[in-house]
Amino acid sequence: MRLEKCWFCSSTVYPGHGIQYVRNDAKVFRFCRSKCHKNFKMKRNPRKVKWTKAYRRLNGKDMTQDATFEFERKRNRPERYDRSVTENTLKAIKKIDKVRVDREARHHAQRMKGKKAQVLREATKELEQSIHMVKAPAALQEDSSLTLPKIKVKVSQPTEDNHMLE
Amino acid sequence: MHQAGFNQYKQQRTFIQMGSILKVVDNSGSKKVMCIQALKGRKGARLGDKVVVSVKEALSGGKVKMEKGEKSKRVYYGVVVRAAMQRGRCDGSEVKFDDNAVVLINKQGEPIGTRVFGPNTHELRKKKHLKILSLAENIV
Repeated sequence: MRLEKCWFCSSTVYPGHGIQYVRNDAKVFRFCRSKCHKNFKMKRNPRKVKWTKAYRRLNGKDMTQDATFEFERKRNRPERYDRSVTENTLKAIKKIDKVRVDREARHHAQRMKGKKAQVLREATKELEQSIHMVKAPAALQEDSSLTLPKIKVKVSQPTEDNHMLE
Repeated sequence: MHQAGFNQYKQQRTFIQMGSILKVVDNSGSKKVMCIQALKGRKGARLGDKVVVSVKEALSGGKVKMEKGEKSKRVYYGVVVRAAMQRGRCDGSEVKFDDNAVVLINKQGEPIGTRVFGPNTHELRKKKHLKILSLAENIV
């Protein structure tokens, strides 16, 4: 049993899934599902299709080089069965996965970093322009300082009503 | 790459039935044969099945005869080694090829030619076509 990689999207193909297409030059293309197979038949280049791993790696969205990828290399020599080796491998897989996920998260955070100022600017702009969607116009007119949150609201008519309703 | 000799846009992904034209991928001398009968299989032959074929196009000087003199000389048996229709494997996955191809064999099951071209599948092993497999250069 061997877990293959889908030629189009690079996800793992588990046994029982997918289609193998053998071209006449004996090159084998494995697909994880018909979505990938159909894209292949349309002659789409996976490096240009945004949701594939090939595109993401090419455009720096995902990690390309990392020590954790070395563990998953394809090996063609069969290993002699050794129970302790199998046990250790299973434990190692868990640990390696955890490390890899952490590193990918860090890579993602690194990629998304540097937008704090822009996010703040966008937020203030949205508050100025769209506060009418959150607060009633009457309340806004009464207290013009209600445009930004976190500012303490002066005790006025509307809040007293709320208390009474409770 | 896909649309080689035939006029269709894509190879039909159905059974090989009476009238299907198949490519011959051994050096027996013939190039194209037409399936007359699919042995075993109500709807038609699939990957690894035997068929009875009639030679349509052949190279001169090959082992295969195409003279119009004796009709019986043009009929041969063949084994489907590549099929455009997917064949399920026992692990649940499916394999399919680009075209429909046969290897001509005699009544005993031995190939007439001495070489086989292109990729083959190990489904042939189960069907006891070991001689063809031993000649194959690429097994998928």
